[in-house]
This record gives sequence, structure tokens and C-alpha cells, in this order.
Amino acid sequence: MINISDDIITRTVSRVLVPFIQIYALYVIMHGHHSPGGGFQGGVILGASFILYLITHGLEDAKKRMSELKMGLFSTFGLLIYSGIGLLCLILGGNYLDYGRLSTILKVIPAQARSLGILGVEIGVGITVMAVMFSIFFDISTGGVLPEDEEGLGTSDE
Amino acid sequence: MNNFLLCLGMGLFALVFLCLYRGIFGPGILNRIAAISAIGTKTLVILLIMGFIYNRVDMFVDISMVYALLNFIGTITAAKYLEIGGEV
Repeated sequence: MINISDDIITRTVSRVLVPFIQIYALYVIMHGHHSPGGGFQGGVILGASFILYLITHGLEDAKKRMSELKMGLFSTFGLLIYSGIGLLCLILGGNYLDYGRLSTILKVIPAQARSLGILGVEIGVGITVMAVMFSIFFDISTGGVLPEDEEGLGTSDE
Repeated sequence: MNNFLLCLGMGLFALVFLCLYRGIFGPGILNRIAAISAIGTKTLVILLIMGFIYNRVDMFVDISMVYALLNFIGTITAAKYLEIGGEV
């Protein structure tokens, strides 16, 4: 069980740093086709910001911001975006993830439709990776026992 | 200018091995954590020097920022693991 950190320096630095990390993660996702990065890398950075918050502010506080249920929903939602865009291309008569076909819906030229399509897929991948990263860390830090189970059994030893 | 940057990078590369010695044989876990953190900082500077050599600083700045970030979070996590009473 991770409790809130006693050290004021760690708490203050992380509180200042977390929003900037998240903005940087969004930059990495959005700018993935011009610079190193993309959906997975941006998602990892976004997940790392939540992990930093969990480490410095404790499990209870982090659960209020990002519960396990929300993380599960986010991970499936990102997958839905990814496969939805792929299936949309399939329905419009192309191959799976053939973004050029989206030009009929988006009313732009095919080159721009490819750029927008890959951006949508990267956003989906980023959301999924962020949720799964945080979920794995959440499960490891609780040792497999969810806090509400622990309270119910009355075996909280900390 | 390029030769100067190359020599600087190789000097830092040699210094990484000194930190690696402290990281492997260092007495105690705290020396090891500090050594790994110092290696991360040196790697960040080496990445920026590589960016200057290849004239692609705009790309290497992104990579080194992520490296600094994950290095910071890794060090904080290791310190937290010690604080809540992990095995040393």
C-alpha cells in the first residue's frame, strides 16, 4: 500500500511537474509523424505522469482521480477507436486501416484523410497504452488485493 | 566544432563506465540508485551532443526530454520502494 509521501519537496515537485508531463505527452501523440514518438510513446509518458502522481500522493488520492473501473473503460475505449477507424475503412470499400477511403466522409483530399486517420488511430493507441500502463502499476502496487477488499476483510495492516 | 563535440561525447562515454562500476559494485543500494541516475543524466547529454553532430537537435531534444523524465520517475520509484520497506 503506497501512502502519501512525507517529503514536501517530492510532493510539490510532482504536483508542478505532472501537468507539464501530460502536455508533453499530448505533444508526442499529436506530433508523432514529424518527430520521434507516436501513440505508444505518448501513452507511456501519459501513464508515467499518473504513476508519478500515485507514487507521491498515495493510492487513496490517486484512486479518486483515476479508478480501476475508469482505467478499464479507457483501455477498451482506445481499442474501440482503433478498430472503429479500421472497420470504417473496411466498410467504405478499402482494406483494413486504409485511411485514404475516409476522404469521402471527411470531405478532404485522400492525402489529408490519411494524415487525419493515422492521427485518430494514434490517439486510440495512446489512450489504451496509458490506461494499461497505469492499470499494471496499480495492480502491482496493491499486490493484487484491491483496497476496498482489504477494508471489507478488516486486514489493513498499515 | 564537430571534433570538439565528438571528444566531449567520448569523454562522457568513458565517465559512464566509472558510474557503472559504482552501480555494480557500489556498497549499498543508495549508491546504486545514485549511480543509475547519474548514468541517465550523462546519457541525456550524450544524446544532445549526437543531435548537434547530426544537425537534428529538434529530434534529439524530444528523445532526451523523455529520457530525463523517465529517469526522474525511475529514481523516485526506487526511493519510494525503499521508503515503504522493500528488500534491500
